Amino acid sequence: MTTISNEQDAMAASPALPAARMSRMSKIGLVVLAITVAIPPFVVTPLELTKLSRLVVLVLAVLGVNLLTGYTGLISLGHGVFVGVGAFAMANLIDQGMSLFLAGFLATLFTGAVGLVLGLPALRVRGLYLALVTFGTALAFPPLLRRLGTWTGGVTGRTVDNDAFVPPSLLGLDDDVHIWRYGVCLAVVALWFVIIRNLVNSRMGRALRTVRDNEAAAATFGISVRYAKAGALAISAAMTGTAGVLQSLLNPYVSHADFDSFLSLRLYAAAVIGGLGTLAGVIFGVLALILIPTINGAFELLDSDAIVFGAGLIIMTFIAPTGIAGLFKGRDRGKSESP
Amino acid sequence: MVEATWRHFTGALMELLVQRCFDGMFTGAIYASLALAIVMIYRSTGLLNFAQGEMGLMGGYVTLTLLSPTGAVGVSIPIAGTAFASRWIPLHPWPAWAAIVGAVAFGALLGAVVERFIMRPLTGRSTLSQVNVTIGLLILINGIVFQIWGSFSRKVKSPFPNEAADYVGILGARLRYTTVGVWATLIVIIVLLTLLIQKTKTGLAFRAITSNREGAALVGVPVNRTLTIGWAIASAIGALAASLVGGAITLSPVLMLNLLIYALAAATIGGLDSPRGAIAGGLIIGLTQSLSPPYLGIPTELTLLPPLAAMVLALAVRPHGLFGTVPVNRV
Repeated sequence: MTTISNEQDAMAASPALPAARMSRMSKIGLVVLAITVAIPPFVVTPLELTKLSRLVVLVLAVLGVNLLTGYTGLISLGHGVFVGVGAFAMANLIDQGMSLFLAGFLATLFTGAVGLVLGLPALRVRGLYLALVTFGTALAFPPLLRRLGTWTGGVTGRTVDNDAFVPPSLLGLDDDVHIWRYGVCLAVVALWFVIIRNLVNSRMGRALRTVRDNEAAAATFGISVRYAKAGALAISAAMTGTAGVLQSLLNPYVSHADFDSFLSLRLYAAAVIGGLGTLAGVIFGVLALILIPTINGAFELLDSDAIVFGAGLIIMTFIAPTGIAGLFKGRDRGKSESP
Repeated sequence: MVEATWRHFTGALMELLVQRCFDGMFTGAIYASLALAIVMIYRSTGLLNFAQGEMGLMGGYVTLTLLSPTGAVGVSIPIAGTAFASRWIPLHPWPAWAAIVGAVAFGALLGAVVERFIMRPLTGRSTLSQVNVTIGLLILINGIVFQIWGSFSRKVKSPFPNEAADYVGILGARLRYTTVGVWATLIVIIVLLTLLIQKTKTGLAFRAITSNREGAALVGVPVNRTLTIGWAIASAIGALAASLVGGAITLSPVLMLNLLIYALAAATIGGLDSPRGAIAGGLIIGLTQSLSPPYLGIPTELTLLPPLAAMVLALAVRPHGLFGTVPVNRV
């Protein structure tokens, strides 16, 4: 009985087999999204746009959580750590005189490797051990950063040399650096999105979903469960590292205080609220991540918005296990998912 | 002369070692109780309750509110709920023991409510959904505690004699009465739990559910009621742990996040389905934490690392823990 309902639940959460063409809903969504992201440069101040850019790059972190939890069924409560590793790696690689592109690429690779090293012992065993290890790491991360002063600037944090992060002169955007930066961030995010979209619709994506739904069955199909999980973790950590890379360039000052355990918990909550196992869910998740603190701050409702994230996570699990994205999809396809 | 110096030297070393062991035993007992709560839930439902620490934290703050008009020892900042407490709670500044009993009762109620209204409706849903809800509870309860009691660190009055002179000298080290008291409490909990599980009908039902939930339901074991009791007990133990730790370490909204990791590490090392393992794991983690700064040169602010490393090591070498059962997977 448990097995059957587990499967139903898993099926409700998994998207249909890779659609060759995008559904009409997805197309409309994509157009709306494109228009939405094009508006801010024209309406908000440079400072606000930079702030927005910093949140937009968190799409990568939420996407990372989603790839791991939504597609592979592994829980990470430590993705804030990967944002931090990416940011500090970037700062130090720039110190070595590397170009931004090379430094960003290496910082991304490095974060992926860190994710792998952290996760490997936990991935040997089934179950929730990755959640334990990553959560522990998230808690130990800020004190660790304070100790590693050589690279992290210790208690006070450190600056990042982002002088090279300016538009090429032939674009004529010299007075609108913030718009160029916003554009670069969007481009990088879009690039990762395309990579992940192709990945989840590929052989590897199907392997990951099979691992999520039934590990033993996946092994019988000849999928190496351990490699699939490790691969998902490495890619997930790497893209989250890219978020850190971009954040460090947007705000050239990074410190341990930016990467506390609540960042990780928020990222996880955002991924679940948005919708696990769908790419649209990532967008909704980041909207939640942006709107909840903004609304809370504007109306001075609560001392901490944790209540909203926590309650949101619980409520969404009850009424919409597939997140906000699932609500839309359910309407599109009729009543296909009732857990 | 040389010999005397040497004796003095080894004496000091011995003293430090014993003292550190006592310190580790105190925190170890706290970790063990929280680990015990986690293991109880895991055994009966196969679920890791990430909110276990925060549910206990709320109990700790209830102790604080029941204890004193200012809500804290040595802190003059009044806390929200204090005015409420002195007006509505009879005989308000309760003695330490009564306050802890009140917090434990609150913890039991909280656990029962969470089981009845949040976890039970999710029966049959995937483990991921259920774990997500406990993570949601972790964030939510932490936010509520922050909202009600604020972010200040506060010290709870200890129910045991806790003045500077309240200790027994052993080998030159100080075994504080609080440490003895916390261990005595832990032993009482274990004895009571064992009696409950081995000798009562509820305990029999609990064991039946642990071994085969559907089978138990088929032969008429009241699964739901038993699980509610299980959650209530686990949550009560958590509240007790938080109230006791508040006597030694200050209570703050982030306290339980760290404690949760220690407790989870303890449970992992001991074996997630073994109560004995939880106690042993708690002791191991407590001792690792107190012995690693002087002997391994780990800075005290990084005391989270040795337990974390121990957990990772345990996962790599013996994933089912010291006392846990080796899992068998069926397709």
